[in-house]
Amino acid sequence: MVRFEDVAVRYGAGPEVLRNVSFHLEPGSFHFMAGPSGAGKSSLLKLMYLAQQTNHGRIRLFGRDVTGLSRKDRAITRRRIGVVFQDFRLLDHLSALENVALPLKIGGQREDKIREHVAELLAWVGLGEQINAFPPTLSGGQQQRVAIARAVVARPSLLLADEPTGNVDDRIAVRLLYLFEELNKLGTTILIATHNESLVSRFNHPVLRLKDGKVRLFRDSASGHLQPGKGSAA
Amino acid sequence: MLRRRSDLPLDRDPSGRYLPWLVAVMVFLAALALVCAMAMNKVVQRWDQGLSGSITIQIPPPAETSTAAANEMAIDRIIDILLDTDGIIIAEVLEPDEIAELLKPWLGTEAISQDLPLPMLIAVVLDPRTSPDLGRLARQLDEAVPGTLLDDHQSWLGELLSLARSIELLAALVLALVGSCAIAMVIFATRMGLAIHGQIIELLHLIGAQDSYVAAEFQSHALKLALRGGVLGLLLALITLVAVARLMSRVESALFPEFSLQPLEWSLLALLPLAIALVAMLTARWTVLRTLGRMP
Repeated sequence: MVRFEDVAVRYGAGPEVLRNVSFHLEPGSFHFMAGPSGAGKSSLLKLMYLAQQTNHGRIRLFGRDVTGLSRKDRAITRRRIGVVFQDFRLLDHLSALENVALPLKIGGQREDKIREHVAELLAWVGLGEQINAFPPTLSGGQQQRVAIARAVVARPSLLLADEPTGNVDDRIAVRLLYLFEELNKLGTTILIATHNESLVSRFNHPVLRLKDGKVRLFRDSASGHLQPGKGSAA
Repeated sequence: MLRRRSDLPLDRDPSGRYLPWLVAVMVFLAALALVCAMAMNKVVQRWDQGLSGSITIQIPPPAETSTAAANEMAIDRIIDILLDTDGIIIAEVLEPDEIAELLKPWLGTEAISQDLPLPMLIAVVLDPRTSPDLGRLARQLDEAVPGTLLDDHQSWLGELLSLARSIELLAALVLALVGSCAIAMVIFATRMGLAIHGQIIELLHLIGAQDSYVAAEFQSHALKLALRGGVLGLLLALITLVAVARLMSRVESALFPEFSLQPLEWSLLALLPLAIALVAMLTARWTVLRTLGRMP
Protein backbone atom coordinates (compact mmCIF):
# COMPACT_ATOMS: atom_id res chain seq x y z
CA MET A 1 0.00 0.00 0.00
CA VAL A 2 2.63 2.52 1.13
CA ARG A 3 6.31 1.80 0.69
CA PHE A 4 9.13 4.24 1.43
CA GLU A 5 12.59 3.26 0.23
CA ASP A 6 15.53 5.25 1.60
CA VAL A 7 13.61 8.52 1.41
CA ALA A 8 15.23 11.80 2.39
CA VAL A 9 13.73 15.31 2.50
CA ARG A 10 15.32 18.67 3.14
CA TYR A 11 13.93 22.18 2.71
CA GLY A 12 16.24 24.44 0.76
CA ALA A 13 19.76 24.31 2.03
CA GLY A 14 18.69 23.29 5.54
CA PRO A 15 19.36 19.98 7.28
CA GLU A 16 17.50 16.84 6.29
CA VAL A 17 14.08 16.70 7.93
CA LEU A 18 13.77 13.03 7.05
CA ARG A 19 16.66 10.76 6.19
CA ASN A 20 17.05 7.14 5.18
CA VAL A 21 13.35 6.54 5.81
CA SER A 22 12.22 3.10 4.76
CA PHE A 23 9.01 1.40 5.84
CA HIS A 24 6.05 -0.42 4.46
CA LEU A 25 2.38 -0.12 5.42
CA GLU A 26 0.37 -3.10 4.27
CA PRO A 27 -3.10 -2.70 2.81
CA GLY A 28 -5.78 -2.54 5.50
CA SER A 29 -3.33 -1.72 8.29
CA PHE A 30 -3.86 0.88 11.04
CA HIS A 31 -0.90 2.82 12.35
CA PHE A 32 -0.27 5.73 14.62
CA MET A 33 2.63 8.03 13.97
CA ALA A 34 4.18 9.68 16.98
CA GLY A 35 7.15 11.84 17.65
CA PRO A 36 8.12 15.20 19.10
CA SER A 37 7.35 18.45 17.30
CA GLY A 38 9.70 19.01 14.38
CA ALA A 39 10.46 15.30 14.06
CA GLY A 40 9.12 15.30 10.49
CA LYS A 41 5.59 13.92 10.95
CA SER A 42 3.97 16.53 8.75
CA SER A 43 6.68 16.16 6.10
CA LEU A 44 6.14 12.42 6.05
CA LEU A 45 2.40 12.89 5.61
CA LYS A 46 2.97 15.47 2.86
CA LEU A 47 5.09 12.96 1.00
CA MET A 48 2.24 10.48 1.25
CA TYR A 49 -0.42 12.82 -0.03
CA LEU A 50 1.93 13.95 -2.80
CA ALA A 51 2.33 17.54 -1.68
CA GLN A 52 6.06 17.17 -1.19
CA GLN A 53 8.86 15.90 -3.39
CA THR A 54 11.64 13.69 -2.10
CA ASN A 55 15.26 14.71 -2.34
CA HIS A 56 16.28 11.10 -2.34
CA GLY A 57 14.72 7.67 -2.44
CA ARG A 58 11.52 6.26 -3.82
CA ILE A 59 7.88 6.15 -2.69
CA ARG A 60 5.38 3.60 -3.89
CA LEU A 61 1.64 4.05 -3.31
CA PHE A 62 -0.94 1.47 -4.28
CA GLY A 63 1.80 -0.55 -5.97
CA ARG A 64 3.00 2.34 -8.14
CA ASP A 65 6.07 4.54 -8.00
CA VAL A 66 4.74 8.07 -7.38
CA THR A 67 7.98 10.03 -7.40
CA GLY A 68 7.61 11.18 -11.02
CA LEU A 69 3.84 11.23 -11.54
CA SER A 70 2.29 13.67 -14.02
CA ARG A 71 -0.14 16.30 -12.64
CA LYS A 72 -3.07 14.33 -14.01
CA ASP A 73 -1.97 11.02 -12.51
CA ARG A 74 -1.19 12.75 -9.22
CA ALA A 75 -4.78 14.07 -9.07
CA ILE A 76 -6.18 10.62 -9.78
CA THR A 77 -3.94 9.06 -7.11
CA ARG A 78 -4.94 11.71 -4.56
CA ARG A 79 -8.59 10.74 -4.94
CA ARG A 80 -7.71 7.45 -3.26
CA ILE A 81 -6.22 9.30 -0.29
CA GLY A 82 -8.23 11.05 2.44
CA VAL A 83 -6.38 13.69 4.42
CA VAL A 84 -7.28 15.35 7.72
CA PHE A 85 -5.13 18.46 7.90
CA GLN A 86 -3.89 19.78 11.21
CA ASP A 87 -5.34 23.21 10.41
CA PHE A 88 -8.51 21.63 8.93
CA ARG A 89 -8.32 23.67 5.71
CA LEU A 90 -12.07 24.09 5.40
CA LEU A 91 -13.48 26.52 2.85
CA ASP A 92 -15.12 29.33 4.81
CA HIS A 93 -17.56 30.27 2.04
CA LEU A 94 -18.99 26.76 1.84
CA SER A 95 -21.35 25.15 4.34
CA ALA A 96 -20.32 22.10 6.35
CA LEU A 97 -22.27 19.94 3.93
CA GLU A 98 -20.62 21.52 0.89
CA ASN A 99 -17.16 21.18 2.43
CA VAL A 100 -17.68 17.50 3.13
CA ALA A 101 -19.18 16.98 -0.32
CA LEU A 102 -16.11 18.36 -2.13
CA PRO A 103 -14.29 15.04 -2.70
CA LEU A 104 -17.47 13.47 -4.06
CA LYS A 105 -18.15 16.46 -6.29
CA ILE A 106 -14.59 16.40 -7.60
CA GLY A 107 -14.97 12.68 -8.15
CA GLY A 108 -18.00 13.41 -10.33
CA GLN A 109 -20.70 11.78 -8.18
CA ARG A 110 -24.38 12.60 -8.65
CA GLU A 111 -25.70 15.50 -6.61
CA ASP A 112 -28.72 13.74 -5.10
CA LYS A 113 -26.57 10.87 -3.82
CA ILE A 114 -23.96 13.28 -2.50
CA ARG A 115 -26.41 15.19 -0.32
CA GLU A 116 -27.96 12.12 1.24
CA HIS A 117 -24.63 10.47 1.94
CA VAL A 118 -22.96 13.58 3.31
CA ALA A 119 -25.87 14.51 5.59
CA GLU A 120 -25.78 11.00 7.03
CA LEU A 121 -22.03 11.19 7.67
CA LEU A 122 -22.27 14.61 9.31
CA ALA A 123 -24.99 13.27 11.61
CA TRP A 124 -22.67 10.40 12.51
CA VAL A 125 -19.89 12.76 13.60
CA GLY A 126 -22.43 14.70 15.69
CA LEU A 127 -23.01 17.60 13.30
CA GLY A 128 -26.48 16.71 12.05
CA GLU A 129 -27.79 20.07 13.21
CA GLN A 130 -24.96 22.03 11.61
CA ILE A 131 -24.98 20.79 8.03
CA ASN A 132 -25.76 24.26 6.69
CA ALA A 133 -23.46 26.10 9.07
CA PHE A 134 -20.35 27.80 7.75
CA PRO A 135 -16.94 26.98 9.26
CA PRO A 136 -16.38 30.38 10.92
CA THR A 137 -19.53 29.81 12.97
CA LEU A 138 -18.37 26.37 14.18
CA SER A 139 -16.15 25.64 17.17
CA GLY A 140 -12.65 24.22 16.68
CA GLY A 141 -13.86 20.74 17.54
CA GLN A 142 -16.78 20.98 15.16
CA GLN A 143 -14.51 22.20 12.37
CA GLN A 144 -12.21 19.28 13.02
CA ARG A 145 -15.11 16.85 12.67
CA VAL A 146 -16.12 18.47 9.39
CA ALA A 147 -12.52 18.04 8.21
CA ILE A 148 -12.58 14.37 9.24
CA ALA A 149 -15.91 13.81 7.52
CA ARG A 150 -14.48 15.36 4.34
CA ALA A 151 -11.46 13.05 4.52
CA VAL A 152 -13.49 9.87 4.89
CA VAL A 153 -16.55 10.66 2.78
CA ALA A 154 -15.20 9.18 -0.44
CA ARG A 155 -14.13 5.95 1.33
CA PRO A 156 -10.44 6.42 0.53
CA SER A 157 -8.00 3.51 0.24
CA LEU A 158 -5.56 5.41 2.44
CA LEU A 159 -6.48 7.83 5.22
CA LEU A 160 -3.85 10.19 6.59
CA ALA A 161 -4.68 12.32 9.59
CA ASP A 162 -2.51 15.00 11.15
CA GLU A 163 -3.51 15.47 14.79
CA PRO A 164 -7.18 14.69 14.06
CA THR A 165 -8.18 14.80 17.71
CA GLY A 166 -6.20 17.85 18.74
CA ASN A 167 -9.21 20.11 19.26
CA VAL A 168 -11.81 17.75 20.68
CA ASP A 169 -12.44 16.40 24.15
CA ASP A 170 -11.57 12.79 25.00
CA ARG A 171 -15.13 11.54 24.48
CA ILE A 172 -15.27 12.91 20.92
CA ALA A 173 -11.66 11.82 20.29
CA VAL A 174 -12.53 8.24 21.15
CA ARG A 175 -15.66 8.42 19.04
CA LEU A 176 -13.61 9.69 16.05
CA LEU A 177 -11.06 6.94 16.53
CA TYR A 178 -13.90 4.44 16.40
CA LEU A 179 -14.96 6.01 13.11
CA PHE A 180 -11.44 5.48 11.79
CA GLU A 181 -11.50 1.89 12.99
CA GLU A 182 -14.83 1.31 11.24
CA LEU A 183 -13.29 2.66 8.08
CA ASN A 184 -10.26 0.45 8.63
CA LYS A 185 -12.51 -2.59 8.89
CA LEU A 186 -13.90 -1.68 5.47
CA GLY A 187 -10.36 -1.96 4.08
CA THR A 188 -8.97 1.56 4.36
CA THR A 189 -5.33 1.79 5.37
CA ILE A 190 -5.00 4.36 8.15
CA LEU A 191 -2.12 6.42 9.46
CA ILE A 192 -2.76 8.90 12.25
CA ALA A 193 -0.15 11.38 13.40
CA THR A 194 -0.80 12.36 17.00
CA HIS A 195 0.73 13.70 20.17
CA ASN A 196 -1.93 12.02 22.26
CA GLU A 197 -0.04 9.09 23.81
CA SER A 198 -3.00 8.01 25.93
CA LEU A 199 -5.08 7.61 22.80
CA VAL A 200 -2.27 5.67 21.15
CA SER A 201 -2.00 3.28 24.08
CA ARG A 202 -5.78 2.95 24.40
CA PHE A 203 -6.24 1.70 20.83
CA ASN A 204 -3.08 -0.34 20.71
CA HIS A 205 -2.20 -0.14 17.04
CA PRO A 206 1.36 -0.24 15.68
CA VAL A 207 3.24 3.01 16.00
CA LEU A 208 5.68 4.68 13.63
CA ARG A 209 7.96 6.70 15.88
CA LEU A 210 9.90 9.56 14.36
CA LYS A 211 13.03 10.84 15.99
CA ASP A 212 15.83 12.91 14.48
CA GLY A 213 14.40 12.42 11.02
CA LYS A 214 14.37 8.62 11.27
CA VAL A 215 11.43 6.23 11.55
CA ARG A 216 11.07 3.13 13.69
CA LEU A 217 8.04 0.89 13.77
CA PHE A 218 6.74 -0.47 17.07
CA ARG A 219 4.21 -3.27 16.87
CA ASP A 220 2.98 -2.82 20.41
CA SER A 221 2.31 0.78 21.29
CA ALA A 222 2.04 0.07 24.99
CA SER A 223 5.41 -1.63 25.36
CA GLY A 224 7.22 0.50 22.79
CA HIS A 225 9.17 -2.56 21.59
CA LEU A 226 9.94 -3.07 17.93
CA GLN A 227 8.02 -6.11 16.82
CA PRO A 228 7.03 -7.50 13.44
CA GLY A 229 3.46 -6.64 12.49
CA LYS A 230 1.36 -5.66 9.53
CA GLY A 231 3.87 -2.91 8.80
CA SER A 232 7.62 -3.06 8.79
CA ALA A 233 10.43 -0.56 9.00
CA ALA A 234 14.10 -0.62 8.30
CA MET B 1 -27.64 23.31 -3.30
CA LEU B 2 -24.24 21.80 -3.94
CA ARG B 3 -23.80 23.13 -7.43
CA ARG B 4 -25.02 26.66 -6.99
CA ARG B 5 -22.12 27.84 -4.89
CA SER B 6 -18.74 27.83 -6.58
CA ASP B 7 -15.87 26.05 -4.83
CA LEU B 8 -13.84 29.21 -5.37
CA PRO B 9 -15.36 32.45 -4.05
CA LEU B 10 -14.58 34.30 -7.28
CA ASP B 11 -17.68 36.51 -6.94
CA ARG B 12 -15.91 38.40 -4.15
CA ASP B 13 -12.89 39.25 -6.32
CA PRO B 14 -12.35 42.84 -7.53
CA SER B 15 -12.64 41.54 -11.10
CA GLY B 16 -16.29 40.75 -10.44
CA ARG B 17 -16.96 44.46 -10.03
CA TYR B 18 -15.00 46.01 -12.92
CA LEU B 19 -15.00 43.30 -15.59
CA PRO B 20 -18.72 43.53 -16.56
CA TRP B 21 -18.47 47.31 -16.96
CA LEU B 22 -15.36 47.11 -19.12
CA VAL B 23 -16.95 44.41 -21.26
CA ALA B 24 -20.08 46.58 -21.54
CA VAL B 25 -18.04 49.50 -22.90
CA MET B 26 -16.28 47.23 -25.37
CA VAL B 27 -19.47 45.63 -26.63
CA PHE B 28 -21.01 49.10 -26.92
CA LEU B 29 -18.13 50.26 -29.16
CA ALA B 30 -18.13 47.04 -31.14
CA ALA B 31 -21.89 47.25 -31.74
CA LEU B 32 -21.65 50.82 -33.00
CA ALA B 33 -18.73 49.94 -35.28
CA LEU B 34 -20.62 46.94 -36.62
CA VAL B 35 -23.77 48.96 -37.32
CA CYS B 36 -21.74 51.68 -39.09
CA ALA B 37 -20.11 49.08 -41.31
CA MET B 38 -23.44 47.40 -42.06
CA ALA B 39 -25.17 50.70 -42.83
CA MET B 40 -22.38 51.83 -45.15
CA ASN B 41 -22.34 48.51 -46.93
CA LYS B 42 -26.07 48.78 -47.44
CA VAL B 43 -25.81 52.26 -48.97
CA VAL B 44 -23.13 51.15 -51.39
CA GLN B 45 -25.12 48.09 -52.39
CA ARG B 46 -28.20 50.21 -52.96
CA TRP B 47 -26.39 52.71 -55.15
CA ASP B 48 -24.45 50.02 -56.97
CA GLN B 49 -27.60 48.04 -57.80
CA GLY B 50 -29.53 51.17 -58.74
CA LEU B 51 -26.87 52.58 -61.04
CA SER B 52 -25.35 49.58 -62.76
CA GLY B 53 -26.41 49.32 -66.41
CA SER B 54 -27.47 52.94 -66.59
CA ILE B 55 -25.96 56.30 -67.51
CA THR B 56 -27.22 59.84 -67.21
CA ILE B 57 -26.89 62.48 -69.87
CA GLN B 58 -26.77 65.97 -68.50
CA ILE B 59 -27.51 68.82 -70.94
CA PRO B 60 -26.47 72.22 -69.57
CA PRO B 61 -29.31 74.46 -68.39
CA PRO B 62 -30.70 76.63 -71.20
CA ALA B 63 -29.43 80.18 -71.40
CA GLU B 64 -31.91 82.84 -70.41
CA THR B 65 -31.92 84.12 -73.99
CA SER B 66 -32.56 80.73 -75.60
CA THR B 67 -36.03 79.86 -76.75
CA ALA B 68 -38.04 76.77 -75.87
CA ALA B 69 -37.76 75.64 -79.49
CA ALA B 70 -33.96 75.76 -79.33
CA ASN B 71 -33.99 73.68 -76.18
CA GLU B 72 -36.27 71.13 -77.80
CA MET B 73 -33.90 70.92 -80.77
CA ALA B 74 -30.90 70.31 -78.51
CA ILE B 75 -32.73 67.48 -76.76
CA ASP B 76 -33.81 65.99 -80.08
CA ARG B 77 -30.21 66.00 -81.35
CA ILE B 78 -29.06 64.15 -78.26
CA ILE B 79 -31.93 61.66 -78.41
CA ASP B 80 -31.21 60.96 -82.08
CA ILE B 81 -27.58 60.18 -81.34
CA LEU B 82 -28.58 57.94 -78.42
CA LEU B 83 -31.14 56.01 -80.45
CA ASP B 84 -28.63 55.50 -83.26
CA THR B 85 -26.13 54.00 -80.85
CA ASP B 86 -26.06 50.20 -80.42
CA GLY B 87 -26.48 48.90 -76.87
CA ILE B 88 -28.97 51.51 -75.66
CA ILE B 89 -32.37 50.15 -74.70
CA ILE B 90 -34.16 53.20 -73.27
CA ALA B 91 -33.46 56.95 -73.37
CA GLU B 92 -35.98 58.89 -71.33
CA VAL B 93 -36.03 62.67 -70.94
CA LEU B 94 -36.83 63.63 -67.36
CA GLU B 95 -39.46 66.33 -66.89
CA PRO B 96 -38.52 69.39 -64.78
CA ASP B 97 -40.89 68.17 -62.05
CA GLU B 98 -39.11 64.82 -61.93
CA ILE B 99 -35.72 66.55 -61.74
CA ALA B 100 -36.98 68.73 -58.91
CA GLU B 101 -38.28 65.63 -57.14
CA LEU B 102 -34.88 63.96 -57.48
CA LEU B 103 -33.11 66.99 -56.07
CA LYS B 104 -35.55 67.56 -53.24
CA PRO B 105 -33.87 65.23 -50.71
CA TRP B 106 -30.53 66.88 -51.40
CA LEU B 107 -31.51 70.53 -51.58
CA GLY B 108 -34.85 70.57 -49.80
CA THR B 109 -38.11 71.99 -51.21
CA GLU B 110 -37.28 75.58 -50.40
CA ALA B 111 -34.18 75.82 -52.57
CA ILE B 112 -35.84 74.53 -55.74
CA SER B 113 -37.93 77.13 -57.46
CA GLN B 114 -38.82 78.03 -60.95
CA ASP B 115 -35.93 80.51 -61.03
CA LEU B 116 -33.25 77.94 -60.25
CA PRO B 117 -31.58 76.92 -63.52
CA LEU B 118 -31.67 73.14 -63.67
CA PRO B 119 -29.86 71.02 -66.25
CA MET B 120 -31.91 68.79 -68.52
CA LEU B 121 -31.43 65.12 -67.77
CA ILE B 122 -31.85 62.02 -69.91
CA ALA B 123 -31.87 58.66 -68.15
CA VAL B 124 -30.38 55.96 -70.36
CA VAL B 125 -30.68 52.22 -69.81
CA LEU B 126 -27.90 50.16 -71.39
CA ASP B 127 -28.12 46.69 -72.84
CA PRO B 128 -25.96 44.57 -70.52
CA ARG B 129 -25.02 42.30 -73.45
CA THR B 130 -23.70 44.97 -75.85
CA SER B 131 -22.55 47.95 -73.90
CA PRO B 132 -21.67 50.96 -76.14
CA ASP B 133 -18.30 52.73 -76.24
CA LEU B 134 -19.11 55.40 -73.66
CA GLY B 135 -16.02 57.52 -74.40
CA ARG B 136 -16.92 57.82 -78.04
CA LEU B 137 -20.57 58.50 -77.21
CA ALA B 138 -19.56 61.26 -74.79
CA ARG B 139 -17.52 62.97 -77.51
CA GLN B 140 -20.40 62.68 -79.99
CA LEU B 141 -22.84 64.22 -77.54
CA ASP B 142 -20.49 67.07 -76.65
CA GLU B 143 -20.01 67.86 -80.33
CA ALA B 144 -23.77 67.86 -80.93
CA VAL B 145 -24.59 70.07 -77.93
CA PRO B 146 -21.51 71.64 -76.35
CA GLY B 147 -21.33 71.18 -72.57
CA THR B 148 -23.33 67.93 -72.55
CA LEU B 149 -21.98 65.47 -69.99
CA LEU B 150 -22.21 61.69 -69.89
CA ASP B 151 -22.13 60.39 -66.37
CA ASP B 152 -21.61 56.66 -65.91
CA HIS B 153 -21.52 57.19 -62.08
CA GLN B 154 -18.35 55.11 -61.79
CA SER B 155 -16.19 57.92 -60.56
CA TRP B 156 -18.09 58.79 -57.37
CA LEU B 157 -19.44 55.27 -56.93
CA GLY B 158 -15.83 54.12 -56.81
CA GLU B 159 -15.06 56.69 -54.13
CA LEU B 160 -18.16 55.65 -52.21
CA LEU B 161 -17.08 52.02 -52.41
CA SER B 162 -13.62 52.92 -51.20
CA LEU B 163 -15.14 54.86 -48.27
CA ALA B 164 -17.36 51.91 -47.43
CA ARG B 165 -14.41 49.53 -47.49
CA SER B 166 -12.46 51.88 -45.21
CA ILE B 167 -15.34 51.99 -42.74
CA GLU B 168 -15.63 48.20 -42.86
CA LEU B 169 -11.91 47.93 -42.23
CA LEU B 170 -12.19 50.35 -39.34
CA ALA B 171 -15.07 48.34 -37.89
CA ALA B 172 -13.03 45.14 -38.21
CA LEU B 173 -10.15 46.92 -36.46
CA VAL B 174 -12.44 48.04 -33.64
CA LEU B 175 -13.75 44.47 -33.27
CA ALA B 176 -10.20 43.11 -33.22
CA LEU B 177 -9.17 45.69 -30.61
CA VAL B 178 -12.22 44.93 -28.50
CA GLY B 179 -11.46 41.21 -28.71
CA SER B 180 -7.81 41.79 -27.78
CA CYS B 181 -8.75 44.01 -24.84
CA ALA B 182 -11.26 41.41 -23.63
CA ILE B 183 -8.60 38.71 -23.79
CA ALA B 184 -6.05 40.86 -21.95
CA MET B 185 -8.56 41.80 -19.23
CA VAL B 186 -9.67 38.23 -18.67
CA ILE B 187 -6.05 37.03 -18.50
CA PHE B 188 -5.30 39.70 -15.90
CA ALA B 189 -8.45 38.97 -13.86
CA THR B 190 -7.84 35.22 -14.01
CA ARG B 191 -4.23 35.52 -12.90
CA MET B 192 -5.36 37.75 -10.05
CA GLY B 193 -7.97 35.16 -9.08
CA LEU B 194 -5.38 32.37 -9.18
CA ALA B 195 -3.14 34.40 -6.86
CA ILE B 196 -5.95 35.35 -4.46
CA HIS B 197 -7.31 31.81 -4.19
CA GLY B 198 -4.00 29.96 -4.28
CA GLN B 199 -4.65 28.17 -1.00
CA ILE B 200 -8.11 26.97 -1.98
CA ILE B 201 -6.80 25.79 -5.34
CA GLU B 202 -4.02 23.90 -3.56
CA LEU B 203 -6.63 22.27 -1.32
CA LEU B 204 -8.78 21.28 -4.31
CA HIS B 205 -5.70 19.71 -5.88
CA LEU B 206 -4.94 17.82 -2.66
CA ILE B 207 -8.48 16.48 -2.61
CA GLY B 208 -7.98 15.20 -6.15
CA ALA B 209 -9.15 17.99 -8.43
CA GLN B 210 -7.50 18.15 -11.81
CA ASP B 211 -6.46 21.43 -13.40
CA SER B 212 -9.50 21.23 -15.67
CA TYR B 213 -11.79 21.23 -12.58
CA VAL B 214 -10.21 24.48 -11.37
CA ALA B 215 -10.32 25.87 -14.90
CA ALA B 216 -14.06 25.09 -15.06
CA GLU B 217 -14.62 27.30 -12.02
CA PHE B 218 -12.79 30.22 -13.62
CA GLN B 219 -14.29 29.78 -17.06
CA SER B 220 -17.89 29.72 -15.82
CA HIS B 221 -17.17 32.82 -13.72
CA ALA B 222 -15.66 34.64 -16.73
CA LEU B 223 -18.56 33.54 -18.93
CA LYS B 224 -21.09 34.88 -16.43
CA LEU B 225 -19.34 38.24 -15.99
CA ALA B 226 -18.71 38.77 -19.71
CA LEU B 227 -22.27 37.82 -20.62
CA ARG B 228 -23.63 40.23 -18.04
CA GLY B 229 -21.41 43.04 -19.32
CA GLY B 230 -22.04 42.14 -22.94
CA VAL B 231 -25.82 42.31 -22.60
CA LEU B 232 -25.53 45.64 -20.80
CA GLY B 233 -23.23 47.02 -23.54
CA LEU B 234 -25.59 45.84 -26.27
CA LEU B 235 -28.56 47.45 -24.54
CA LEU B 236 -26.68 50.76 -24.30
CA ALA B 237 -25.72 50.48 -27.97
CA LEU B 238 -29.35 49.80 -28.98
CA ILE B 239 -30.56 52.83 -27.03
CA THR B 240 -27.92 54.94 -28.77
CA LEU B 241 -28.82 53.57 -32.20
CA VAL B 242 -32.53 54.25 -31.66
CA ALA B 243 -31.68 57.82 -30.64
CA VAL B 244 -29.47 58.30 -33.71
CA ALA B 245 -32.16 56.81 -35.98
CA ARG B 246 -34.72 59.29 -34.62
CA LEU B 247 -32.37 62.20 -35.16
CA MET B 248 -31.66 61.09 -38.71
CA SER B 249 -35.34 60.67 -39.53
CA ARG B 250 -35.80 64.38 -38.81
CA VAL B 251 -33.16 65.35 -41.40
CA GLU B 252 -34.72 65.55 -44.86
CA SER B 253 -31.83 64.38 -46.96
CA ALA B 254 -30.66 61.44 -49.00
CA LEU B 255 -27.12 62.00 -47.79
CA PHE B 256 -27.78 59.72 -44.83
CA PRO B 257 -28.47 56.07 -45.44
CA GLU B 258 -31.76 54.50 -44.55
CA PHE B 259 -31.38 53.30 -40.99
CA SER B 260 -32.95 49.88 -40.68
CA LEU B 261 -31.49 46.49 -39.91
CA GLN B 262 -32.44 43.15 -41.42
CA PRO B 263 -33.03 40.08 -39.21
CA LEU B 264 -29.59 38.73 -40.10
CA GLU B 265 -27.99 41.99 -39.03
CA TRP B 266 -29.93 41.98 -35.77
CA SER B 267 -28.69 38.43 -35.21
CA LEU B 268 -25.11 39.57 -35.75
CA LEU B 269 -25.56 42.28 -33.14
CA ALA B 270 -27.17 39.87 -30.72
CA LEU B 271 -24.23 37.52 -31.19
CA LEU B 272 -21.77 40.16 -29.94
CA PRO B 273 -22.30 39.52 -26.18
CA LEU B 274 -22.29 35.77 -26.80
CA ALA B 275 -19.08 36.01 -28.82
CA ILE B 276 -17.29 38.10 -26.21
CA ALA B 277 -18.53 35.79 -23.45
CA LEU B 278 -17.19 32.82 -25.37
CA VAL B 279 -13.84 34.57 -25.85
CA ALA B 280 -13.72 35.37 -22.12
CA MET B 281 -14.57 31.79 -21.17
CA LEU B 282 -11.95 30.23 -23.42
CA THR B 283 -9.33 32.77 -22.34
CA ALA B 284 -9.97 32.06 -18.65
CA ARG B 285 -9.70 28.33 -19.27
CA TRP B 286 -6.51 28.69 -21.26
CA THR B 287 -4.95 30.99 -18.63
CA VAL B 288 -5.72 28.61 -15.75
CA LEU B 289 -4.52 25.51 -17.56
CA ARG B 290 -1.34 27.27 -18.70
CA THR B 291 -0.57 28.75 -15.28
CA LEU B 292 -1.28 25.57 -13.32
CA GLY B 293 0.48 23.44 -15.93
CA ARG B 294 3.71 25.29 -15.21
CA MET B 295 3.57 24.31 -11.54
CA PRO B 296 5.54 21.27 -10.37
